[in-house]
Amino acid sequence: MRAKFNIHRIFTSLLLGLMCLCYGCVIGQKWTQNYTLLPGVTANDPALIDNDLETIGQSQRKKGSGSPITDLEIPSEAIIHLPEKKSVYRIIIHATNLEEFEVQAFNSRGEWDKIYDRRKNTERIIDIRLSKVVTTAGIKVVVRRTTEDAALRRKNIQLDRENTETADGLRRGRYVYHLKGPTTALAKIAEIELYGYATAAND
Amino acid sequence: MKHRNRLHLATPWCVIPMLLIASIVFNSCTALKEAQQRREKRILEERNTNTLMLKPSNATIEIREDALFGESDHYTIKFAEDLHEHPNFDEVPERKEFTRSALGYMESLYDAMYKLFGFQPKHKIHVTLHDAYRNNRHAAFTRTEYRSGMLDGRYVRFITNIHMDFPMQMYEKHGVRVHELTHAFTNIYYIPVWFSEGLAVLIQTEYAQGGLHPKFDSLQGNLNIDLNGVNQLESWGGHTENSPLTQWRYRYSYTLVSQLREKYGHDFYIRVFELMDADGLHQKLAESMETSFLVYYFSKAAGEDLVPFFKRLHFTVRKLTKEDILKHIEMNTKRRQ
Repeated sequence: MRAKFNIHRIFTSLLLGLMCLCYGCVIGQKWTQNYTLLPGVTANDPALIDNDLETIGQSQRKKGSGSPITDLEIPSEAIIHLPEKKSVYRIIIHATNLEEFEVQAFNSRGEWDKIYDRRKNTERIIDIRLSKVVTTAGIKVVVRRTTEDAALRRKNIQLDRENTETADGLRRGRYVYHLKGPTTALAKIAEIELYGYATAAND
Repeated sequence: MKHRNRLHLATPWCVIPMLLIASIVFNSCTALKEAQQRREKRILEERNTNTLMLKPSNATIEIREDALFGESDHYTIKFAEDLHEHPNFDEVPERKEFTRSALGYMESLYDAMYKLFGFQPKHKIHVTLHDAYRNNRHAAFTRTEYRSGMLDGRYVRFITNIHMDFPMQMYEKHGVRVHELTHAFTNIYYIPVWFSEGLAVLIQTEYAQGGLHPKFDSLQGNLNIDLNGVNQLESWGGHTENSPLTQWRYRYSYTLVSQLREKYGHDFYIRVFELMDADGLHQKLAESMETSFLVYYFSKAAGEDLVPFFKRLHFTVRKLTKEDILKHIEMNTKRRQ
C-alpha cells in the first residue's frame, strides 16, 4: 500500500513542533529566585547582596605584601559565598564603573575556575548568560579595569626630580616616579544577582 | 526432577554472595558519599575563613535631609567640614548613597564582631569621616571616653562615648574598619594600649585578612627594651608618630597576642574578657590597667601562671591574687574619699 503524504498536515505538525520547542526554550523558561537573597549568603561587601540598588558595595583588594609597587598588579575582587551548591546560569551585575573583569566559580576542589570574562564593558547592568550551567557554592568577580583607573593613576603616580642639596646649592637630579597610592580603583557594585533554571525542585 | 532440586539448592548459594557483594558496593558507595560530603564541608569551612564575609544587616538606617549625618542601630556617621567641598561628597545624592552604604557595611561588621566576641559596647559608635584628620590621611583613631566618680561609696568608671575618626583614605580599607571596630569593642574593658593594639592587629590580620604588620618569628629574639630594662610595649601610650619603634610595637604586640592565642586556644581572649566581666574589677581601677592585672586574668584563662612568661619578655609584672587587687582598689577608694 502506498502511503499518502499530506503536505499541509506535515507542515502544520512541523510548525506546531517548532512552536512547542520555542515555548519550551524561551517563553516557557523560568528563572529561579535570586540565589544571593537566600538565607546564609555572605559577601565581602554586604551591599552586593542586600537587594537594595541604592547601596553601593566595593570590590576589595586581596591582602598584599604591603609594598605598593609589589602589589600594583593585584586585582580587587567582589566575592559571594552561597551556603550550598547551586546551579547558576545567569549572573546580573549592577556596576557603575566596571570596564574589564572576569567571573570565577568556586569548584569542589576549593579552587576558583574562570567561567566568563569581558574585555570592554560599557553597560551598567551586565546580564551574563553562561554558555553552560555552573554548579557552585561561590562566585567571584575579579576586577581587571575600571573607568576610574586613569584618573587614579594620574593622581597617585607623580613624576618628580631627585634633587640633592650640595654646598653650592641645589643639584638637579634624575626624574623618578613616585607612587602615592593605588593605581587601580575599586569596582562600585550595587548588586550581584545569581539565577539558575527553575525546576519543580528548586522553583 | 533431580535437576530442579539442584537448582533449588544452588539458588541461595548464588543469591547470598550476590547480596553480600551488593551490600558491600552499596555501603562503600555510602561511605564514599559521606567522605565526599565531609571533604566538601571542610573545603567550605576553609573557604569561609580565608576572607571576611558578611551578611546584610537588618538595621534601621536614617539619613538627614542634607545627608551630612546618618544614624543606624549602632552608629552615627557624619561628614567633617573638610569633606563638604570634596568633589565626591559635595552633592546630597552622593553623600546619601555613601552614608547608606557605609552604615549598612558597618552594621554587618558590627554583627560579625558581636558574634566573634560575644559582647558589645552599650553605646552607639560615633563615626566622623574626614579628608584628613589631624593633618594626616594615613591614621584612623578610636577614642573611648569615660567618666569616673563615687557610686555607693565605691569608685567606678563608666563609658560615656565612643568616637571613631577616619580619613576617607583609611575608611576605604576594610581591614582598618575591622581594626578600629575591635578597639570600640575591647576598649570597654580599659585594657592596656599594647594589648588593645595587638588584639586589633590580630583580628585585622587573621580574621579580616587585611593587616600589614607581619609577625616576628621569635619574641625573645626581637625584644626591644628601654634604659630601665623594661619592654618598650609597656610604655606605649597609643598612636604616635610613624617611627620604627611604633612599627616594632605593632608587630611585637601582635606576635605576643597571637602566640598566646595559638597556645591557649582560639577562644582564649573571649575567656579573658568573660572572667573580667564576671568580676567587674576593671571598672573600679582608678588608673589605667597595669599589665599585672591583665596577666592575672590571662593566667586564670590559661589555667597556668603566666607571670614567668611575661617576666622573660621584660615586662614589670608580679603575681597577683584577687585579694591583692581588691586591697589595691580599696586603698585607692580611701585615698579619693
